[in-house]
Amino acid sequence: MTRAKRIVRGCLLFLTVLALLMPGPAGAQAKPDLTIALSSFATESLDPPVAGHLVKYYLSLMFDYLVGTTPDGQLSPNAGVATKWESSADHKRWTFTLRKGVKFHNGDDLTSEDVKFSLERAAGKRSTTGYAGPLRTLVASIETPAPDRVVIVTKDPTLIIPNYLSRALSSEGMIVPKKYIESVGDDAFARKPVGSGPYKFVEQITGSHVRLTAVDNHWRLGTPKYKTVTIRAVPEETTRIALLRRGEVDVTEISRERVGEVEKEGYPVHFRKEEAILSMWWILGPDGMVAPMKDKRVREAMNVALDRNEIAQSIFAGRAEPAAIPLGLSWSFKEIGLKVTPDMMYPYDPARAKKLLADAGLANGFSLDAYAYQLPGLPEGKAFAEAVSGYWEKVGIKIKLIPVDYPAFRKNWVDRKTPGSIGYFNIANRDWMGTFALLEKMAYSPSKPNDTVNDAEVDGMISQVAKQTDREKINTLMRNSFLRIRSEHLGMPIVYLHSPYATSKKLGKWNPGSVMYDLFFDELASGK
Amino acid sequence: MIRFVLSRLLQSLVALAILSVVVFALARATGDPLQLILPMSATPEDYAEARRYLGLDRPYVEQYLSFVGRAVTGDFGMSIRARRPVVELLQERLPNSIRLAAFAMAITLSIAFPLGVIAAVRKGTGIDRLAQVIAVLGQSLPTFWVSIVLVEVVAGRLQWLPAGSNEAGLASYVLPGFTLGWFVVAGMMRLLRSGMLEVLDSEYVKLARVKGVLEPRVVWMHALKNALIPVVTFAGIYFSILVTTAIVVETVFAWPGLGRLAYEGISSRDYPVIQAVVLTTAVIVALVNLSVDCLYAVIDPRIRHAG
Amino acid sequence: MPAEPVTTGALPVPDVQAQPAREARGGRLPYFSLGIVALFVLVAILAPLLSPADPADQSLRNRFRPPVWMEGGTAKHLLGTDRLGRDMLSRIIWGSRVSLAAGVITVLIATAFGASVGLVAGYYGGRVDAVLMRVTDATMSFPVILLALILAVTVGPSFTNVVVAIAVILWARFARVIRGQVLTLMGLDFIAQARIAGAGAWRIITRHLFPNTLNTLVVLLTLQIGYVIIVEASLSFLGAGIPPPTPAWGSMIAEGREFVTSAWWVSGLPGLAILLVVLAFNLLGDWLRDTLDPKLRQL
Repeated sequence: MTRAKRIVRGCLLFLTVLALLMPGPAGAQAKPDLTIALSSFATESLDPPVAGHLVKYYLSLMFDYLVGTTPDGQLSPNAGVATKWESSADHKRWTFTLRKGVKFHNGDDLTSEDVKFSLERAAGKRSTTGYAGPLRTLVASIETPAPDRVVIVTKDPTLIIPNYLSRALSSEGMIVPKKYIESVGDDAFARKPVGSGPYKFVEQITGSHVRLTAVDNHWRLGTPKYKTVTIRAVPEETTRIALLRRGEVDVTEISRERVGEVEKEGYPVHFRKEEAILSMWWILGPDGMVAPMKDKRVREAMNVALDRNEIAQSIFAGRAEPAAIPLGLSWSFKEIGLKVTPDMMYPYDPARAKKLLADAGLANGFSLDAYAYQLPGLPEGKAFAEAVSGYWEKVGIKIKLIPVDYPAFRKNWVDRKTPGSIGYFNIANRDWMGTFALLEKMAYSPSKPNDTVNDAEVDGMISQVAKQTDREKINTLMRNSFLRIRSEHLGMPIVYLHSPYATSKKLGKWNPGSVMYDLFFDELASGK
Repeated sequence: MIRFVLSRLLQSLVALAILSVVVFALARATGDPLQLILPMSATPEDYAEARRYLGLDRPYVEQYLSFVGRAVTGDFGMSIRARRPVVELLQERLPNSIRLAAFAMAITLSIAFPLGVIAAVRKGTGIDRLAQVIAVLGQSLPTFWVSIVLVEVVAGRLQWLPAGSNEAGLASYVLPGFTLGWFVVAGMMRLLRSGMLEVLDSEYVKLARVKGVLEPRVVWMHALKNALIPVVTFAGIYFSILVTTAIVVETVFAWPGLGRLAYEGISSRDYPVIQAVVLTTAVIVALVNLSVDCLYAVIDPRIRHAG
Repeated sequence: MPAEPVTTGALPVPDVQAQPAREARGGRLPYFSLGIVALFVLVAILAPLLSPADPADQSLRNRFRPPVWMEGGTAKHLLGTDRLGRDMLSRIIWGSRVSLAAGVITVLIATAFGASVGLVAGYYGGRVDAVLMRVTDATMSFPVILLALILAVTVGPSFTNVVVAIAVILWARFARVIRGQVLTLMGLDFIAQARIAGAGAWRIITRHLFPNTLNTLVVLLTLQIGYVIIVEASLSFLGAGIPPPTPAWGSMIAEGREFVTSAWWVSGLPGLAILLVVLAFNLLGDWLRDTLDPKLRQL
């Protein structure tokens, strides 16, 4: 028996030693760095034309934009490399005056050569951001008359250039170092990027984190409060919250459903109000809407069958607001002068829905397929799809729920394999320029695959916007496009989603801003 | 003996070759990776351009041959999602998986040994049954649930341990290692217990007991040794499984290992990554199996000729 | 996670001392395990009669109601409601059908195919055996979860996909074990005698070999049912399991995983169900092994 006892004792000893190796609870030491936990990295590349807007979160700390913005999305000559920009009278020559004394992290000066190089690279073959297309078609040439002046010459008169190259949109306006890239090549640059932003690259472990360290005395932020910024990918929400509680992260993405839990314990929660619109649409057939959605009454019926308030309160824990206009990206509404009046909101009226269906000859209902999938920023995706189906079932529409992941749905959508079936997306809110870019894809028949609307009037209005140089006319066209989409029920708007970010108790001030896919971590890190 | 090893190696290579075709086809069947890396607003021209740039528009046979050709030199191509060589991604992630699996195995052994020994010694009693239940419990709960409960309670609420991710040193291995390891305890404990019982119950020992002779140490050492060989081989095989299938634990604990790489690869339809991960997995498992077979062949000549 | 790896299918480390004659370790019947299994099988069969409500009936206003014994619970929902207001008791009852069916069907398919391969390989030996074993090896080295994920992503998640993905790899385990057994049996006298008597391959396999492997099959079968149920749960977590709105214990746990402390019953109760059922099957399998054939210690 002694032998057995000894073995057992040995094992217990081993376990005890193991236990002793554990450190005490965290939170005792001060952390000089800022750690942020996100649910995932959309791509792992650190090169702007490859990574694009999906990872602006950290790219905007490493790189400067040609045209900067305030957190509210207003173009600002203080936040970007360009201190001044103006167009010629015919709106075909845009001149940018560059800030003096900006240096890249490797010491090189930032000049107009770099700007020209960056823009050409952003529009080049390697780009997968999807926003390069308009640049390629619009830009005729780029001139560099002086080290601090860049002139962009466009083929057609246009107003969109400054917005397009700003922080408000994607990554096309990020400036990269010409000499460095030409000497080490694209692949090496992507692995060890060099920019001119307030933070420089330290390391990246794919699937784990990206680490940056502050540049002393940067023109944008001075000397920031946080010396290092680490952005971590932590897919499981419970784990993110545990990290917050342990003090291992300072900022974390959090789901709407768990905000209450975390607020009760005193952790501040910052909301990006109306960060996205959750909008549903019917997949089009080769010639547009298919039966029975071809009938306007059916489209209206499906809209009024939904109780948007209950959806907002229950599925989204109250952190959402009913939306009135399909594809209605509200951050642009003020700029284009669109006011959403109460009569534009869809009521919850199942009786009316049934009547409309009966009028359309479908008193016995009909069957439809609906895809169910999760999306980044929409962990409630599947529950949401189930809930919405429940409402439609109640008015006689039999829904077959098809769970997929987003790429599979997208394929069906753009290939138009299953016309009539329903999909959705949480479309990131954006300014008027970005909104136009989105409408031009999703509400415009000539951009075949992504179109969800297929309406001749809307097509006409959208095609005029690109060529317009009169802001007032642009605003009118965009307003009317939205109004038409709404009055013809060319989609099903559901809610605007507020996105919560929980922070540690001693974090201080932070304005996450209202710029697409950007959380202004640099402002946070600066500590101002 | 050499012939045995060589013939096994050859057969493993054939198996790998078959596997490579299967995984090539499967990976491509998953869909189009460009759907994910190009944004919602990309046009068909953008797609065609990207496809050409990434070499995805070549005929399948050509893609397969180039894949195999480079794979044998260890070049698995470029990840479509990360635009970096897949080999680099593997180099970053595989060691993490190996380390975690090693720690998990250590935990398994330190739980299975006392349980197995106690159960063997107290065979048939309530303690024996209790030990068995504890062991089997680890296999009767979904891994992700155990992980999440541990993270929420032990890491989040009680704050005793880090919630995974290997930044905080050895302590961060404990929770994920325990979750992984507990699953394996049952099997190991069973082997240990029955192995020891083989000897303890043998005629020789029974006779010694009847005669009143106290159990000599020799019997104990013999019992342990008897149990050890299957245990060691079990541990070896399990180790390879732990390295290659820890997706769930890696996801919950944000552990950047092979499992998560596979998951990310499949989610983004990243063919080179999917292919590389499956082949790497197969190679690891094949190597371990081969070693185990050789070990057995050394011990028992019968197997050498049967296999 | 596999329940056990079967090592190489080779013979166990030979113990030159004769197999000790022990009385059946199990001794008494494992009442607990049998009881649980029987209970859940009954529940699964009688689900339409037992279930108090429609498991798919959602009511958003009623979401996250706690079970009746907690504050806020109602008798209408004895075990509370889930995220969409559906009755937990009904979902667990119906879920027993789905989860048990998944486990049993998958294992039966894997057994049938795997045993056949093992029998053939063991009987013929030589080249046939080598080829079959390499295929088996290649199959076993493909991680189940990866295959299920790939299938889910390619053709969409479904009950069939879960069964296929697991069975397609699980059979290899059976094949290895059975082959090992058959190899032992082939060396015994009664096979040689049967051959001399002129029996053909089919007869020998079905009349002599197969019945002697039944014990092993039964043990393995029982042990793997629990494994399949657990794997389904893991697949649901990754999005490749049995899809909503079908109630399956695994996906119920996955859906409720954000609320382990706030609305613990949403994942806790199906988790308890899985725990009981799988524990019961595992203990039952252990007992079966001890009673039927103590030689199977490698399982």
